[in-house]
Amino acid sequence: MEGRKSVNRPPTPDPVEEQEEKEPSLQEVINVKLVESGEKERLMDLLRERLIECGWKDEMKALCRAFMKKKGRSNVTVDDLVHVITPKGRASIPDSIKAELLQRIRAFLVQASV
Amino acid sequence: MSGPNEDITSSHTQLSSQLFGNLLDSMIADVASECHRIAKLGLDRNLEEEEEELKLSAEARASVADAAAETNGKYVMDIFGQTHPPIANDLFECINCGRSVAAGRFAPHLEKCMGKGRKARKATRNSTAGQNRYSRGSPASTYSPYSNSAATTATSNRVPNGTTGVAGEGYSNGAFEEK
Repeated sequence: MEGRKSVNRPPTPDPVEEQEEKEPSLQEVINVKLVESGEKERLMDLLRERLIECGWKDEMKALCRAFMKKKGRSNVTVDDLVHVITPKGRASIPDSIKAELLQRIRAFLVQASV
Repeated sequence: MSGPNEDITSSHTQLSSQLFGNLLDSMIADVASECHRIAKLGLDRNLEEEEEELKLSAEARASVADAAAETNGKYVMDIFGQTHPPIANDLFECINCGRSVAAGRFAPHLEKCMGKGRKARKATRNSTAGQNRYSRGSPASTYSPYSNSAATTATSNRVPNGTTGVAGEGYSNGAFEEK
């Protein structure tokens, strides 16, 4: 019997386009491991903390506010805001933070022997 | 020797980047939904005030600095040769709302923040401590002094517990509610 998605524990929702229904992809497997071991939570907390410290979150909030002022508060959807923030957000991550997170992820991958 | 290891390393690299991207997307979604929530709940009315205050303090500083610049080139100097910025620059955390406020703007800020100023008294301002509970129409017997002053404006719009709205000030209404 092939591993069907309905039988496996669903992985955390990822915006990955190449999910196939047939087998758990490597990405899915890793994700499950991340979540199960609690590492994903820790990584999220770490990232959140670093981003707040360096002011990234405030910058993004300012972008949101500017957008909402322009568009009018009642017309704004969460989607809108996500689209507003994403390009700048991804680009303005400080390198040190990115490096730190990547290093931790790799360490996890190594120890998860993938 | 390097063949399979390189593969693993490079796939690790790729995987790490992907995973990092996912984490980042989650963060972005977090921030977006938080901002959206604040906007929809109207909590950012106070944010606008804060920006206003920051602007005002910057302007105040700038205008005084301009005046001083004519006399001295920078700030006014005292007899020891020290210069102090005329509007205190240091930022403090307001104990009431937790925002960072310029020291020189602290008094006006407190006025607005603690509800003694006219604008802040209206029942629609629902994000400072006492007013929050009252203006939401909660049936709980709260008697925050600030919320009573909300009832004293001419248009005492919200009197959720059917109290006889308009006492001068103070706690008399609150006392009734305390039953």
